[in-house]
Amino acid sequence: MSQPSSNNSSLNDSANQKLSKKPISINNTNVTRLHGINTIEINAARQMHSRTISARIPTTTTTRPNNQTSPPTFQPPRSITTTTTTTTKTSIRSTHKCNNPNNPHCPNCESIIIPAPVARMPILDTPSITIHDTWRITSQKGTILNSQQIDDWVQNKLKFNTLPEMIFGENYVKLENLKNGWELQFNALDSLKGVALNDSGIRVAYSEKWKKSKRIDHQRDQVDQESKDFDWTYTTAYRGTETKTTGEGRGLERDDELQLPMDKLSRMDKILYFDDMVLFEDELADNGISILNVKIRVMKERLLLLSRFYLRVDDVLCRIYDTRVYVEFKENKVMREFKQFEDDYNNILNKYKPINSRDPKSLLRDSNWVAENIPLVHRECESVQF
Amino acid sequence: MSLDIDAVIDLLKQGKHVKEETVYTLCLRSQELLMSEANVTHVDTPVTICGDIHGQLHDLLTLFEKSGGVEKTRYVFLGDFVDRGFYSLESFLLLLCYKLRYPDRITLIRGNHETRQITKVYGFYDEIMRKYGNCNVWRYCCEVFDYLSLGAIINNSIFCVHGGLSPEINTLDEIRAIDRKQEVPHEGAMCDLLWSDPEEVDTWSLSPRGAGFLFGKSEVDKFLSTNNVELIARAHQLVMEGYKEMFDGGLVTVWSAPNYCYRCGNVAAVLRIEDDLQRNYTIFEAVQPQDGGGNAIIPTKKPQMDYFL
Repeated sequence: MSQPSSNNSSLNDSANQKLSKKPISINNTNVTRLHGINTIEINAARQMHSRTISARIPTTTTTRPNNQTSPPTFQPPRSITTTTTTTTKTSIRSTHKCNNPNNPHCPNCESIIIPAPVARMPILDTPSITIHDTWRITSQKGTILNSQQIDDWVQNKLKFNTLPEMIFGENYVKLENLKNGWELQFNALDSLKGVALNDSGIRVAYSEKWKKSKRIDHQRDQVDQESKDFDWTYTTAYRGTETKTTGEGRGLERDDELQLPMDKLSRMDKILYFDDMVLFEDELADNGISILNVKIRVMKERLLLLSRFYLRVDDVLCRIYDTRVYVEFKENKVMREFKQFEDDYNNILNKYKPINSRDPKSLLRDSNWVAENIPLVHRECESVQF
Repeated sequence: MSLDIDAVIDLLKQGKHVKEETVYTLCLRSQELLMSEANVTHVDTPVTICGDIHGQLHDLLTLFEKSGGVEKTRYVFLGDFVDRGFYSLESFLLLLCYKLRYPDRITLIRGNHETRQITKVYGFYDEIMRKYGNCNVWRYCCEVFDYLSLGAIINNSIFCVHGGLSPEINTLDEIRAIDRKQEVPHEGAMCDLLWSDPEEVDTWSLSPRGAGFLFGKSEVDKFLSTNNVELIARAHQLVMEGYKEMFDGGLVTVWSAPNYCYRCGNVAAVLRIEDDLQRNYTIFEAVQPQDGGGNAIIPTKKPQMDYFL
């Protein structure tokens, strides 16, 4: 998708505004963008936008796309109009022919091997905010991993084969103390390294009935037992990846006596920076959900991050692992609290007081409701003061 | 009750409300039609195979547009029409309307989401309650689910199914012998066809979850040679690239819901089989969340700022 560079400069500004979050500025606070947006990415954005605009034409019967009337669109530069403005050309472009003459032959049977297609590189947005020139908060969101990346993780990075259905491998939230060379990052790869490499013992509700059904004769059918070399619920006690970038210096130390200052955190101080992202998610073949979600809000004086692992195995159990990170900027103080909650599925369901006609089971899809109705099993706290 | 299918199709394409009585008539007619179909329907080439839709109506419209449209093309849908997306009803009804209007051009196969139990948890039931205030329409649709076929065979050479193989099934005739007109049971051949997954395993394996089968290359090779077919086309699993061939091209997963759940960023694919059985994949992307006038047509997953604690 290389474009003549002469077209890029004039459009840089408007495209930048379109893509980036609004700059935020207060006293002592500088907002920086870690990397500028490359011109290639801007062109990719343009093309993606034009493609989606033109993809809509036939569905809206006879109306042709009119970039003039839609306020958030831009005028595509001449060089790319050829590929994007007419429907016929778009459909030709996107037809993925797999009888490619470059496809290799199988050395044994001579049949043509059709490689999996390569997914389009998405645009990564990586906003960041810097507070008092000391604290830098960065977050990034991308798409799920493609097949090639999944193979790489399975073969080289993780010790089990069946990864969650959706892994947002490019997503992360990073908190850095620039002056003291300290960093705490939340990302999918490190969180999955925390998945146990043994059998959790958890089975879906109808497992016994399923296995007892007469057909499973391991001798006759030569059926292998379920593999027990990883925890299929993807339970992870991940609390973020702590790095001392200078190699030494202070780090988080355990002190369970500490409590998060809920009074300060409950204040409705203006939120300067907010992000909310999923690191991985699996629907457990429609037997519930296993999801790791990270949220962050940065105010003028402090920040709060919540990383929540939520597991629901229908009719079996619910489990929540919450990690909260609190930073008080002026004091250069970090606190990290880790809480484990767990209960039987039906115990939680029974806590539901029928004040309205909502389907009680729908409440178990709301991790916030579950978090309020599930007993605490374990708590730890750590802190560091720079 | 008389039924103007073309008028209903127009309504559905715009995502507009369809009256309960109309849905009832539509479902009844569809049942009558589906009742006469075999468990494994015969389909001729050329044909376009489509994977999971999951209530993404606007992407389904893109699918038809990119692949020729039902007026000119034959389609096999591999199931999972409902749940997850916000337009499960419209997507499913549109397919039923097309089926009634062009019976020889659309084949609908049952997916694991076309069941009462799953739709209650994963969105379709809630969507009906939201749109109609009662669950009648959900019940009419579930009745239709029970009549959907379990598979299709294209030119006696390509076997289409939603999930995969079953250790109880060696030949296609064994699928033909299943009594399919029921809620999908929790065990048995019918369950396996809708639920099982291909995996790099040496032989039939149990899923670590304690229910469900995994099958590998040897099971696929055996099925292909026993039934004299050359490909198993299935859906059921999300693929970032829209499709994935496995086992030396003996099996393909086709996924047709782009940007799944409005946030995965994946592309979608359909597979066209030509008369000479050549495979052509068409890749397409999700529609923009807003139309040209800036009106939201699908909900955006932009993070909502909140004072979480």
